[in-house]
Amino acid sequence: MQNFKYLMIGGGVAGTTAAETLRQHDKDGSIAIVSDEPRMYSRIMLSKPNFFLGKIPFDNVWLREEKWYIENKIEFIGDSLATKLDTKNKTVELNNGKVLQYEKLLLATGGEARPWPLEGSNKKGICYLRDLSEAKELIENVKTAKQAIAIGSGFVSFEMCEMMRLAGLEVTLIMREPYYWYPLLDEESAKMIEKALTEGGVKILRESEVSEILGDERIEGVILKNGEKIDCQLALIGIGLVCNLDWLKEEGIEINRGILSNEYLETNISDIYTAGDVAEFNYLVLGERVQLGNWVNAQMQGRTAANNMLASSSAEASAGQSKKEFKMVSFYTCIGFGLNIAMSGDVRVKSQPSHEATAGKVECRVIKRGSPESGSFIRIIVDCNDEIIGATFINRTGDLMPINKLIEFNFKVTSHESELSDINFDLKTLLHK
Amino acid sequence: MSKQEYARSKEGSNIGKIVVDRDLCIGAASCVAVSGETWELDNENKAVVTNAGAGANAADDATLMMSAQSCPTKAILLFDKEGKQVFPK
Repeated sequence: MQNFKYLMIGGGVAGTTAAETLRQHDKDGSIAIVSDEPRMYSRIMLSKPNFFLGKIPFDNVWLREEKWYIENKIEFIGDSLATKLDTKNKTVELNNGKVLQYEKLLLATGGEARPWPLEGSNKKGICYLRDLSEAKELIENVKTAKQAIAIGSGFVSFEMCEMMRLAGLEVTLIMREPYYWYPLLDEESAKMIEKALTEGGVKILRESEVSEILGDERIEGVILKNGEKIDCQLALIGIGLVCNLDWLKEEGIEINRGILSNEYLETNISDIYTAGDVAEFNYLVLGERVQLGNWVNAQMQGRTAANNMLASSSAEASAGQSKKEFKMVSFYTCIGFGLNIAMSGDVRVKSQPSHEATAGKVECRVIKRGSPESGSFIRIIVDCNDEIIGATFINRTGDLMPINKLIEFNFKVTSHESELSDINFDLKTLLHK
Repeated sequence: MSKQEYARSKEGSNIGKIVVDRDLCIGAASCVAVSGETWELDNENKAVVTNAGAGANAADDATLMMSAQSCPTKAILLFDKEGKQVFPK
């Protein structure tokens, strides 16, 4: 049985960054990555039209060469799935029967695209976009389809609608919500996005749902709940993420939608950590337990988890590392149809418990910066403590980093509201106050 | 302009030039997360060096290299003092 000081389950950005960080600080400790993929690639590139349309060579998707693993003495166990965890003996069994022993274990297994919960959703032409094999399948289907539907109103659908339009397909976007990105965006911002989609040739069907999938082996169309029939040879499904946690259930690791952890990314079982899309962690920025699925979050969590694995190791290996909380202000950006869109922090405008015993609940308020009419619009969300907790950005990503800093530093909005709402005011000047 | 160049003159550094391929950059901002003193996003959602390029000298070589390595589209290129590309290799 092979024994590793540090064992990563998952070879995506979280697991790979963790292994890299561990090697930087512990030159000799044995490290292995178990992955169901051939090696680390750029998952984020999969949804970019330039990649799909061949403007970026396919090989650019690989972010680590085979020699990188060798040079860094990281054993990469590819095309393998972890199927059994034994926390008492500190072992992980793989689908090929191999058993690995660990001293410190990182669970960074990510997630899979949520399946379309309809009869017949296994027909050819129904595509997801989560891993390389799904991307390849989608590329093949885009070549032959004339009409496509996109299901869902999020980042994947937005970027894929553009890709399919650029490929010359007739595209219909079907969403349950009353407007795009509801409820994370407001109606004003959503209208900017919907206008861009419509002008880009996408037909939008709001508050709509598919009730039936037509076709034998291959999708030929769908029927909506209102009876409308739409012909399509391709359906792109972007309705979220699910994590496969079945293999962990017997071992007492606390799970919910993801693997539960504290702010140090430690699970409830000693020497087992989690990071990336699968981690449902205590997020100090929002003061609640959340699961965040984005590239930068996974990358930075990989680092934090590795740091904390080192900190709990022997003195010579820990190299002076002390335990650190994960508290980066999370954000995500995307580009499409001439718009760039970003969200950071907590963008849910909601009621919050008031500190005034008699006041009950207090609504978050929104400071608007720019306007939809001007084509550049930011909503800054302020909580009942007068602190910025999140923001949404359309065509104004230059303000993303200053606002993230203001969120991080618990900046008090009082007396700065007019500056925040003035699109010509440089927000960086507030960072020095 | 598809490629934006920044000269680096940090004392003791082996890196003499930073280049951002704006066609490749998708604004994922992983570079900003790794080295916020070096990188920020502009209003076109592309990575640029902070302080109108002066931030090119802000980070040490290891941090600058990590920020380039973190890019999911390999849009950041680093060159040594002799002009030889050191990342991506």
